[in-house]
Amino acid sequence: MKKLILGAFMFMGAVSFSQDNGYFFGGLESNSQWLMPDEKIGFDAPDDRFRSNNYVQFNYSLGKFTAGIQYETYLPTALLGYSPTWDNQNGIGTYYLNFKNETLDITGGYFYEQFGNGLILRTWEDRQLGINNAMKGLRVKFTPTANIGITGVYGQIRNGFDVSEGVMQGLDANADLSGLLNIDAVELSLGASYVGRYQSNGGNDSIPANINAYGGRLDFVANNFYGGIEAITKDPDVIVTEEVVSSPQLFDGTALQVNLGYAQKGLGINSTFRRLENFSFYADRYQEGNVYNEQIVNYVPALTKQHDYLLSNIYVYNAQPRLLFSDSEKKRAGEVGGQVDVYYSFDKESFLGKVGTKLAGNFSYWAGLEATFNSEEQTYDTKFIGDGPRYFRDLNIEVKNRWSSKWSSIATFQDVIIDKGVTEGGPLGEQGDIRAQIAVIEGTRKFEGGKALRMELQHLWIDKRRKNVDDKNWAAGVLEYNLNSAFTLYAADAWNYEGEGEIHYYSFGGGYTKGPARFALNYGRQRGGLICVGGVCRFVPTNTGLTANLVVTF
Amino acid sequence: MKKLPLLLLALVTFSVIAQNDLPKVDMTTLDGQPINSNDLSIDDNVVVISLWATWCVPCIKELDAISEIYPDWQAETNVKLYAVSIDDSRGVKRVKPMVNGKGWDYTVLLDTNNDFKRAVGAATVPLTLLVKNNQIVYRHSGYSPGAEMELYEKIKEFSAAN
Repeated sequence: MKKLILGAFMFMGAVSFSQDNGYFFGGLESNSQWLMPDEKIGFDAPDDRFRSNNYVQFNYSLGKFTAGIQYETYLPTALLGYSPTWDNQNGIGTYYLNFKNETLDITGGYFYEQFGNGLILRTWEDRQLGINNAMKGLRVKFTPTANIGITGVYGQIRNGFDVSEGVMQGLDANADLSGLLNIDAVELSLGASYVGRYQSNGGNDSIPANINAYGGRLDFVANNFYGGIEAITKDPDVIVTEEVVSSPQLFDGTALQVNLGYAQKGLGINSTFRRLENFSFYADRYQEGNVYNEQIVNYVPALTKQHDYLLSNIYVYNAQPRLLFSDSEKKRAGEVGGQVDVYYSFDKESFLGKVGTKLAGNFSYWAGLEATFNSEEQTYDTKFIGDGPRYFRDLNIEVKNRWSSKWSSIATFQDVIIDKGVTEGGPLGEQGDIRAQIAVIEGTRKFEGGKALRMELQHLWIDKRRKNVDDKNWAAGVLEYNLNSAFTLYAADAWNYEGEGEIHYYSFGGGYTKGPARFALNYGRQRGGLICVGGVCRFVPTNTGLTANLVVTF
Repeated sequence: MKKLPLLLLALVTFSVIAQNDLPKVDMTTLDGQPINSNDLSIDDNVVVISLWATWCVPCIKELDAISEIYPDWQAETNVKLYAVSIDDSRGVKRVKPMVNGKGWDYTVLLDTNNDFKRAVGAATVPLTLLVKNNQIVYRHSGYSPGAEMELYEKIKEFSAAN
């Protein structure tokens, strides 16, 4: 297969020279670090101090065909905190050949696909998290009319430079009901999905070899209102804790997500509810819940606001979809919760509108499912919503102003409560929680010739009346200077002035952008904790070092 | 490692013959209608394609900043801006209320499976492309306050060059 695609690639390259109607696109990304021992934060640099992740991707498109290949190196080892699967590896990570015309879209090789909200199937690449669960096999998309689309997939999930033992197959259908039925008043679309996994049970009949999941969804847009619902059910499967089957029983899983919003000029509101019960899905049953998200086949992000400031990224939520049933750990069955977002711009004629006031607010609440467990019979009962232990609660508001063509500002306030087990690990819902309030003020001053100065002041107050005070209070500042639109310098410090050792997590560096290329260099201390992208998280240990990033697109 | 020099050679060769065509990728509009990237720039008018996400603060700053002066830009150069959201299912439901709440007048497209993001090689957002006759004529990644003025200079430059 690999050779075939490479061959096709060469052939198309050769043809393009003669015909000159194909085109090439791709990119290069290089992320490297040089770790340094730092006694102050207790970081004893590992032997492999230099680490580097590199990706080169090139694609060629000619007429109805496109082919692509991605070469990756993790030499001499992968960046700190990435799965050891990548260490000291290099090779062709993904490749594909695609044919596309008006009604058919066929891909052989590795591909990225999502059904619905991704709760039942999503394969994607996130280099910052070290996730690449592309499916290797065949995908066929058939669009007979503008109102109907069908996608079929078959293959294995990428795992390092290998693929999963489990084989996945899936079918997804979408219909635009408004188009089919000629309805104008409301935009209605319907979808249905099926995803199955086959993995040999090695002759052990108590373990099902085939696990199927089925889902349906309905989305609508009616004037200023819009919304959707998606529900999924998954066949009874074994539950696995750290690669070992932890209950003789089989348990099914469910997911339900409901979304409702309203949008008009100057005002937008969105609300989401989601309930997950025993809903994790991996291409290898024994990999359930692995910390690197390897061989995961669905997407279960934390539905909370993704914060962007140093101190508001200390206490972040991570979705908790799993059923845990062994006697050695705190039992749990999943999560339920929701969030609401509001965006508002003041009318330009009003007083607040004259200074460009824009508001954004978000509230989210997530709790464990209320459940009673019967260890003897290995069964459990849950309520639909119930009153399970609170895992996370976040209330935040952001006010943006544009005072003049030179001055603008952002002020944010956040009040967050997080279960200690979510942020530090260990059992959930029984170690108590941590509450923090965070204020951030950011100001930007623009100068002539593309120069600009940006300042951030941040403070985090821990609620000291609670049992857990974690590292207590923090203060932070960021100073960024843009010499022009291409060249930026910054210095930042997050000072844990009430914590042990009163550590300064300082960093400074710069970035340079020239056309399609961007280069950045940073030196400093990285606070240990969860690094989250798109609501999926990876744990990074505390470290100190120099990092360099280069991105080139062509 | 043996393959590396060969690949680099191939890379250099390919980049020399790169055509800068805008890759052909399907996306959807905010109302869920399919739209192809090759339908965005079909004539001599310059089109701005800005890749952004609801969680990307510099992206929002850039689109907010352009929003203030967008009517002037349109009046002077006929430029049209397509804001392509690369939000996945975590953030995609926020796109519509955010765009409305902020009062942006852009045509917003959704690239939920990140096919367009991959095709244009956007390792990070924001990534801003100027496209004319389906050719990428200029690209800039990142945003610093005031960079929109430089972008506008480029828009005028390419609008004038016929």
